[in-house]
Amino acid sequence: MKNQSAKFMFTALLVCAFAYAAALPGNTLSGKVTAGKGVSVVYVEAVAGKTFPPPTEHVVIDQKGLLFQPHVAAVPVGATVEFLNSDKVAHNIFWPAISGNKKLSHNMGTWPSGQKRDFKFDAPGVVPLLCNVHPEMSAYIVVTPTPYFAVTDADGSYKIANVPEGQYTVSAWHEGMKIQSKPVKVAGDTTTDFALSK
Amino acid sequence: MRSSTWLRFLVPSSVLIIPLWMLVVSTKTYAIPAFSRQYQTSCTTCHLDFPKLNDFGKAFKDAGFKFPKDDADFLKVAPTLLGAEAQKQVWPKTVWPGSIPGMPPIGLRMNNFFQVTGSNRNQFNSLAAPGTVPPVIPGTDFETGFFSIFMAGNFGSDIAFWVDDDISVAGDNSAGGLGDGYLKFVNIGRFLKLPTDSFSIRAGQFELDLPFTQARSINLSPYDIYSQANIGAISSMLSTSQNVNNLFTFADAAKGIEFSGGHNYGGYHYSVAIIDQNTNGVSQSSNNNPYVPSATGGANGGVGFASNSTFKNVYARFAYRFNLERDSESRKAIQAAGTTGPRDHTYLSFGTFYLGGKSQQGLLGALPNGNPQVLYAREPYYRAGGDFSFNYRTFNLFGVYMYGHDKNLLPVDASGALIPLPVGTTSAVPVGFVTSVPAKFNGGFLEADYLVLPWIMAIGRWDGVHSSADRINGLAFSTSTSYFGPLNSERNRFTPGIQFLIHPNIKASFEYQFRPKQSVFVVTDPATGVQQALNPFRVNTALVGLEFVY
Repeated sequence: MKNQSAKFMFTALLVCAFAYAAALPGNTLSGKVTAGKGVSVVYVEAVAGKTFPPPTEHVVIDQKGLLFQPHVAAVPVGATVEFLNSDKVAHNIFWPAISGNKKLSHNMGTWPSGQKRDFKFDAPGVVPLLCNVHPEMSAYIVVTPTPYFAVTDADGSYKIANVPEGQYTVSAWHEGMKIQSKPVKVAGDTTTDFALSK
Repeated sequence: MRSSTWLRFLVPSSVLIIPLWMLVVSTKTYAIPAFSRQYQTSCTTCHLDFPKLNDFGKAFKDAGFKFPKDDADFLKVAPTLLGAEAQKQVWPKTVWPGSIPGMPPIGLRMNNFFQVTGSNRNQFNSLAAPGTVPPVIPGTDFETGFFSIFMAGNFGSDIAFWVDDDISVAGDNSAGGLGDGYLKFVNIGRFLKLPTDSFSIRAGQFELDLPFTQARSINLSPYDIYSQANIGAISSMLSTSQNVNNLFTFADAAKGIEFSGGHNYGGYHYSVAIIDQNTNGVSQSSNNNPYVPSATGGANGGVGFASNSTFKNVYARFAYRFNLERDSESRKAIQAAGTTGPRDHTYLSFGTFYLGGKSQQGLLGALPNGNPQVLYAREPYYRAGGDFSFNYRTFNLFGVYMYGHDKNLLPVDASGALIPLPVGTTSAVPVGFVTSVPAKFNGGFLEADYLVLPWIMAIGRWDGVHSSADRINGLAFSTSTSYFGPLNSERNRFTPGIQFLIHPNIKASFEYQFRPKQSVFVVTDPATGVQQALNPFRVNTALVGLEFVY
């Protein structure tokens, strides 16, 4: 009897643990973005009353072969990005605005080959990176208001893990397309697709 | 031999010809879209306002049309190897087999112009000979410019090439001719264990290493001093007449070989060129000498190697550029490090140049014993000058001063008396020459360029030529023309301009040419009864150019 009781308790605990795990972080938000060539960024918009600590890892954006690499990156607010110059020519990085806000424009100057400079992004938005000596160079950093974001793969598929259950606004961004936002209720694994247009 | 027919044509037509000629010369400007394609980069990587090079563009050119370091990393179109890499192991001490560009490095260019000529342009009509119709000089004129092809690149192993040619000129299918066509063996001094980039060789047809390029100038009109030939003034005072008829100008491409070294973006730079003398303006293709067998022509002559180059000219240039950044690393770099990005250096450069040669004019004459003989007046000449350039950010002030000097040999007859010029069929038979007043000129230009925005260039420029015989003014020729030939005349102009890069490859340019001396003072020569203009007369002109390269 004592053994049966212990088995029951153990099973109950397992059920509760699975139920808790399913109810809290562990939800996956996934889907597909249809937007043409290149990758997109999907992210959860700001959640009222919630703040998130900035990540400790730094994202690196390189300048190599007269190209920004990667061309699209996503970081949460408060993240620090390291800008590296791997070319044997001088480069520059500046952005004329963040999501159209010219007050957030910034010029990083120039630095020698093999060295890098950091910048901490404290405001959410889309940062168009440019080089003022090589006008053909461009890249984008999408600074997301929450840590729930993903960069799609080449065919537009995305997967955001560990999204708590709840009601959110989820947005999708793609270079040259209008941002699309939609309400999404995350309850367990959730699927949401986007079709962006110019 | 002086061609009085040619001069008669040139003089009264000069007002009409000059602006059109300016268009012809000025449009020999090239940027290279082929490089944009190969490297997938904008024109502004190498140009400020095409075709003006920025410091990186100068380094790219110095390196033999490639990135100075790690070129292969930047090429988006891989070159085609002319042999496996492993071939280098078979021939380790050669540059064999090299490569060719992965795509034909072709660029094309087209331009059109609109010109407005001052209302007093028709004052020349009063100088037309009685019974002749004066030339028509339209007040406004649309002009089709050039459709040109140009190719440049690198064959690997530091061997660079350049070819440009005008396919169509002024809307006709006329052959505008080859501009430059050469191979350059860059840094060939490495085989002699000389310092890097201290010795290169260029061979073919090319613009001389001028202080400031004419072929890649951003201006619509050419620098007057580069277009200055030296043609003697014919005077009623025989002892001051000048027989010189030297059509050499710096604006013309030269044929020959050039040795050079150093860099144009900092430090020293030198070049020494040995080129064909071309003082009578006859092109090689026009020189169909029927008596000289040639390798590429017929057995009895024809187009080939029978040029008129009796002598070789030597051109030399040395310049030093001081980059003025305090930070030594920035000072030595190809581009300076700025707070808002890389930029051209703040610099001050000085240079000097010299060209020496000998022009030759043939006259049908006789030996002292009376036997017919072709006599040659071989007149040594030189051009020498200096230049400077100061650059601060996107402001560039630069200038050139040049002095030209031709020895002047006047024909004399058997009695030793001077023969009035030009020598014609009714003249006394020349038997020799005596040295007389040399033909000289001097002048230059001063220009300020300011890149207001990456797509707006403001230009202010002053040109001055002081000549003992100002050909461009249509002066100084035969007494049978309506133009008096003073031994001294000045030709100045101030040319403000502005250019807009609609795209990095499309440019709209405007310039206005102020010429200070406007009046015509006409008198009748009491001896000949021919009307003469005693002072220079020039009309103001406005030019608009629309150019695109692709």
